[in-house]
Amino acid sequence: MATPGELFVVGMSWRTAPVAIRERLAFREEELANAIKQLCVDPAHEALLISTCNRVEIYGVGGPGATTAVKARLAANRGVPLGEVEHALYAHHGDGAIRHVFKVAAALDSLVLGEAQILGQLKAAWATAVAAGVSGPLLGRCLERAFGAAKRVRHETAIARGAANVSTVAVDLAHKVFGDLRGKRVLVVGAGKMSTLAARHLRRAGVDEIVVTNRSPERAERLADEIDGVARPWADLEAELAKADVVLSSTGAREPILTAAMFKRVTKARRWRPIVIVDIAVPRDAEPGIAERDGVYLFDIDDLERVVAANLAERAKAAEHAQHIVHHEAQQFERWLGQQRVVPTIRALREHFTHVAEAEVARTLELLHRKEHDPAARDQAIQRLGQLLVAKLLHQPQMALKDTDEAAVDTRIEAAVALFGLDLSRFQPSADPADALPDVDVAIEHAKREAK
Amino acid sequence: MILPTDLTDAPARALTVAPSPAFWLALVLYAAAALAFVFAAAGRAKAATAARWLLAGAVAAHGVDIGWRGVLHVHPAQSVREALGLTAWLFAGGYLAAASRFRLDLAGGVVAPVALGILAAARLTPAGTDPTGLGTLGRIHIMMAVVGVSLFAVASALAAIYLLQERSFKKKRLDTLAWKSGGAPLESLDRLANRLVLVGFPIFTVAMVLGVIWVQQRHASFGRPEYPLALVTWVSFAALLATRVAYGWRGRRSARLTLLGFATAMLVLAIYLVRRVLAG
Repeated sequence: MATPGELFVVGMSWRTAPVAIRERLAFREEELANAIKQLCVDPAHEALLISTCNRVEIYGVGGPGATTAVKARLAANRGVPLGEVEHALYAHHGDGAIRHVFKVAAALDSLVLGEAQILGQLKAAWATAVAAGVSGPLLGRCLERAFGAAKRVRHETAIARGAANVSTVAVDLAHKVFGDLRGKRVLVVGAGKMSTLAARHLRRAGVDEIVVTNRSPERAERLADEIDGVARPWADLEAELAKADVVLSSTGAREPILTAAMFKRVTKARRWRPIVIVDIAVPRDAEPGIAERDGVYLFDIDDLERVVAANLAERAKAAEHAQHIVHHEAQQFERWLGQQRVVPTIRALREHFTHVAEAEVARTLELLHRKEHDPAARDQAIQRLGQLLVAKLLHQPQMALKDTDEAAVDTRIEAAVALFGLDLSRFQPSADPADALPDVDVAIEHAKREAK
Repeated sequence: MILPTDLTDAPARALTVAPSPAFWLALVLYAAAALAFVFAAAGRAKAATAARWLLAGAVAAHGVDIGWRGVLHVHPAQSVREALGLTAWLFAGGYLAAASRFRLDLAGGVVAPVALGILAAARLTPAGTDPTGLGTLGRIHIMMAVVGVSLFAVASALAAIYLLQERSFKKKRLDTLAWKSGGAPLESLDRLANRLVLVGFPIFTVAMVLGVIWVQQRHASFGRPEYPLALVTWVSFAALLATRVAYGWRGRRSARLTLLGFATAMLVLAIYLVRRVLAG
């Protein structure tokens, strides 16, 4: 039986390579299926290719030389001289590779700790590998366990909690005030990139209505189309403020747009319903004074960045616990893998023993049949069967113990003790010929003769 | 509400019923829950779960105790000490119900010790006067006041958390204790507290009216300090509901009125208790 080889990974990530190198080795989504077939060392072996903006990695199963070959294939496939990128490439084998994929899946190797995308990207990469016919049981089982570990990490630690970038903070803030966002109304003032992104996140979080207003009606219309909202004339700003629950403001105005005087009227019209205002513009769109009114919660870009920094610090704290979980889960998988290695040996051993036992039992049964009326002979036959089985099954182990060179003797003795659970203390080595072991072959012959 | 009429002349021995093992168990569990909530506030997730279970155990044991005393003819509304015990029980139970919907671990840190304090103050102080003069009217008055105040108590626990969270949110301090343990959405806290007041207010109003009739029936004096205080309680909650309907007041303003109303209600109960203890 050929050795199946072990798991390996070859790749580079934001940790080892600047974007200038990452972009040279990256794959477009539509290239992945073909590339993976070309990169895999041997079509019979397993492979997985993942390419994101922060990493390009090839996982596979192969022998010791596999990683070198894959590095060369990767460079060749991308048309990049290997020498120019080799310093950025890493390779892990066996347990190292297992730990790596567990860490990657749990987003512990991500630029933003605990981010949610990588798990989806790994799953997609696996689906591609399956579709390309290069998937296999070892990688499959390993990924399954890695996904499980990632799930545990997300549930049991705070690593994925709290917004990790400015555009998702608005969602967190809205949740803190309103809880459920269904039935809430978002007003987007201006057409800044960040508020567009934030509006999308809010939509995904369950917000029903998004209203866009802009000094330029065309831009309002365009943005409204883009984020599936409704455009409103700039003149309606105050009326819209009275209806909105979350305001995302990012105009290019030099003067504040959301003024204290305006909010004095607006809060009354709102009947003190809470309103979250996220002002991402610089210079700011909202006068700081409006935050003093009851029910008005105003956050500027600095606040958002402070929240993100605090969240990231919390994630870093949670990472320690996450590392423990990942380490533990990887170890479990390694143990399982180790057990899988001995399975063929156990099968062969069982088959061999069964074979010997079946042959002898059949012979004894025949004898019993013949000596139906001779109880003494039948008893003897059963005893013989026991002796014969011991002799036959011990034949090979005994030979292996005796016929070995001096260097291997101790190892074999140890193996025998471990395999059969022996206690050697009662048996001292002896020079007396009377203590010499009976030769197994002679013993077998002897038993056979007596049986006849 | 269970109000058997033949209880008006409960046997005098009822006052001297010894505390049941369930009562002591409830005290210990309330204390343990209070401690666990403190650990939970320090950021131990497991302590929060333990605290909720301990409090649930305390409420169960306390319920058994109230039931046991009922069997021994000690009616939960027959005296101030019994009524206070019932208030503590409804308060803790109401909190548990609210906490099953929102993360209110921080409020638990207030609820558990307050329930413990009320129960201990009610039951570990001298027994007080003979309850036989209470009459059916008095019992109904006490019972309704207890239910109303218990609802206000849960509402004020929510209001207190609301004020804490709202303050840290307004000041953009999201890493404070108020948010550490998850926190509940401000609007949900506000809405739930308002609903509790909405249910508690009519019950409390009837209790007030019955109280007035009761005092008149006995030709007793209205010149006791607890009467104007009770009126302040009623006015606070009336104002809360009225301003909400008329001007849409909510959030911080409502929460403050809730706390004011509840504080005066607690003062009334404290005065009753002290008077009974002194009389005893």
